[in-house]
Amino acid sequence: MTLQPPCTIPATIVGFVGDFDGAFFVLTALAYAAASILYILRLMQGEEGAGRFARRTLIAALCAHALYLVSDQLAATITMPGIHRTLTYLSLGVVVVFLLATFRRPTIGVLGAFLAPTTLVFFLGSGLGRSVAEVPPGVRSALLPIHVSVNLLGIVSFALAFAAAVAYVMQERMLRRKQLGGIFQRLPPLDVLDGFGFRFVRIGFPLLTLGIVTGAFWTLRLGQGAETLSATHLFAIVAWVIFAAVLTLRVAAGWRGYRAAIGTILGFLSSTAVLAGYLLRGAL
Amino acid sequence: MSELVAIGVNHRTAKLDLRERLAVDGPALAELLHEWRGTVREAVVLSTCNRVELYGVTSDPRRVYQEASRILEKRAGADVNQALYLHVAKNAALHTFRVASSLDSLAVGEPQVLGQLKQAFRFAQDEGCVGALTDRWMTRAFRAAKRVRSETDIAKGAVSVSSIGATLASKIFGKLAGRKALLIGAGEIGEAAAKSLYEGGAALTVVNRSEEKAQKLAQRFSGRGAGFDALFSELATADVVIATTASDRPILGVDQMKNVMRARRHKPLFLIDLAVPRDIDPRVGKFNNVFLYDVDDLEQIAEENLAQRRLAVEAAEKIIKQEVEDFEAWRRNLSLTPTIVGLRDHFHGVFESEVKRLSKAGAPSPEAEVLLKRLQHSVINKLLNTPLNVLKEDDSGNMVAAAQRLFPLAAAAENATATNCVSNSCPTSPCFDCPNVGRSGE
Repeated sequence: MTLQPPCTIPATIVGFVGDFDGAFFVLTALAYAAASILYILRLMQGEEGAGRFARRTLIAALCAHALYLVSDQLAATITMPGIHRTLTYLSLGVVVVFLLATFRRPTIGVLGAFLAPTTLVFFLGSGLGRSVAEVPPGVRSALLPIHVSVNLLGIVSFALAFAAAVAYVMQERMLRRKQLGGIFQRLPPLDVLDGFGFRFVRIGFPLLTLGIVTGAFWTLRLGQGAETLSATHLFAIVAWVIFAAVLTLRVAAGWRGYRAAIGTILGFLSSTAVLAGYLLRGAL
Repeated sequence: MSELVAIGVNHRTAKLDLRERLAVDGPALAELLHEWRGTVREAVVLSTCNRVELYGVTSDPRRVYQEASRILEKRAGADVNQALYLHVAKNAALHTFRVASSLDSLAVGEPQVLGQLKQAFRFAQDEGCVGALTDRWMTRAFRAAKRVRSETDIAKGAVSVSSIGATLASKIFGKLAGRKALLIGAGEIGEAAAKSLYEGGAALTVVNRSEEKAQKLAQRFSGRGAGFDALFSELATADVVIATTASDRPILGVDQMKNVMRARRHKPLFLIDLAVPRDIDPRVGKFNNVFLYDVDDLEQIAEENLAQRRLAVEAAEKIIKQEVEDFEAWRRNLSLTPTIVGLRDHFHGVFESEVKRLSKAGAPSPEAEVLLKRLQHSVINKLLNTPLNVLKEDDSGNMVAAAQRLFPLAAAAENATATNCVSNSCPTSPCFDCPNVGRSGE
């Protein structure tokens, strides 16, 4: 099934822009890689070195990404959101939310050292998923876009919580070992990281819950039972259980700080394992 | 020629006893400033716990040094000559720039001295003791200090145990405002650390065996005092704890801290153990969300930070040297102003008297007069272009002397200076330091 471009866009333009699809992908990947390196340099050396260009490079990567999405849309051969498209939007969403968050709280800008590489991995993953087949007609449903969207937004939230959690673990280890050098000075205070991570877990958890519920409902509608549960589904449930534990134990038993950060990291890894599972299976 | 002088004593040349006698504040500072102002043309007095320095502008540094010595001796009631130093001209600028940048401080890189110098300068300004030269001198010193702080690591990392405690607390909790600090023991040891936390915005509670003593100390920081029986409940709500008791065994053991952490629902707790022997069992530091630093840890951090600052000193000295050179170049141009004004006036005078003499034969038409004026400016500018450039480039002052000998400049320069000083409302009239002197002549 071929995407019919809107009639207002001449076919020649569609073809021309679509031809750049691959070039924009490479350009975006390179820009994300450069932003990752610059953010890591910024964390290690501070604002004095090349790291001061990190944010601008990430914004440039975002622009390249937008161009890539336009060209990809025009050149697309699938109409339903496949894993390729999901990962592309996921990486875009992480960058947009991160940049918006840094506007409100500039001190968390150093988290780019963890988020930019995460974005790069998602984006490269979307390249791996480009060869997958279109979504089989049997699994198409009105629930599919809702299921994909809420999961996507949930993982965007968890990605930000993950970056804060990694920074928290680093900062906590350095404080315990009395290693109070440059990286320690550049990372935000522990309380800020803990609060930032908790906020995004709190946002992501209901979205993940909704994603799992819609996914289960959809599976049942397709007439598939518990016997069809795959490792992918199991990872989704594991991620949900971990995040539920992180939130519940925080409220009920005061679990915060290091333990909450470790839980957030494990939860995020489980949720990305779901995406990896889809990528390996070839289609949603 | 007006020279800058910086005369004083500091922590290296004078013992605390003498510095204490010389230190002035409030009305005594105003009195010292005006007494000093009676000796020099422009005056600023800096008085901190580590230094008392008199800055001024004079044409006779040696006499001024003797006067300063007499003034300070009278104030101290003791001989100050052994401790007194004098910096003149470029060295005075260099010294002031180093003081402002905290390179001359006991704790290199500490930020207070810059604020103190700014305050001293503003005070002298308000008292009408600052002229154009001192204004520029101090402003450039502040600029140099700002550059040193922003372009080097001189100010990075706290170097006193008390400020390290506050810095680490802010790396755990972010802003200290609204946080609770608990001081266990009302001795002097923890007071400085408690003060740093209080200044950061934390609310202070003092717990001590003697409740009365605790309350007395707490009042100084607008805090609360309590007896030792309140220790557990205070620990359950505190964010930062400073332990400083003279107990010969730990007052906070593993079991107590387990209960405390349970009661506070594992909220992060920063413990600073300044007591020797220690007040807190070191195993407590392994607890989740508990960060324990003892006096050795803090002193080691202080030493590392100090070593890092020493590395930054070299870069800071380069900046200071550059800034002093810039300031000296400005001063050189300033000292040339009377000569430049004199040369211009002399040439214009000659031209005008020749035109006047020729006019006796027949007055020129208005058009010819305009042309003559244009010719006068154009010819004189061309004639003076090379000599003025040579004057500006000459560091030795020989060229200025030669110009003053070759042309009758003294009277013209004096007139020019006096006129400009009045127009500038300079408090030190007549002077050669007014930056506006050169402008009307150009």
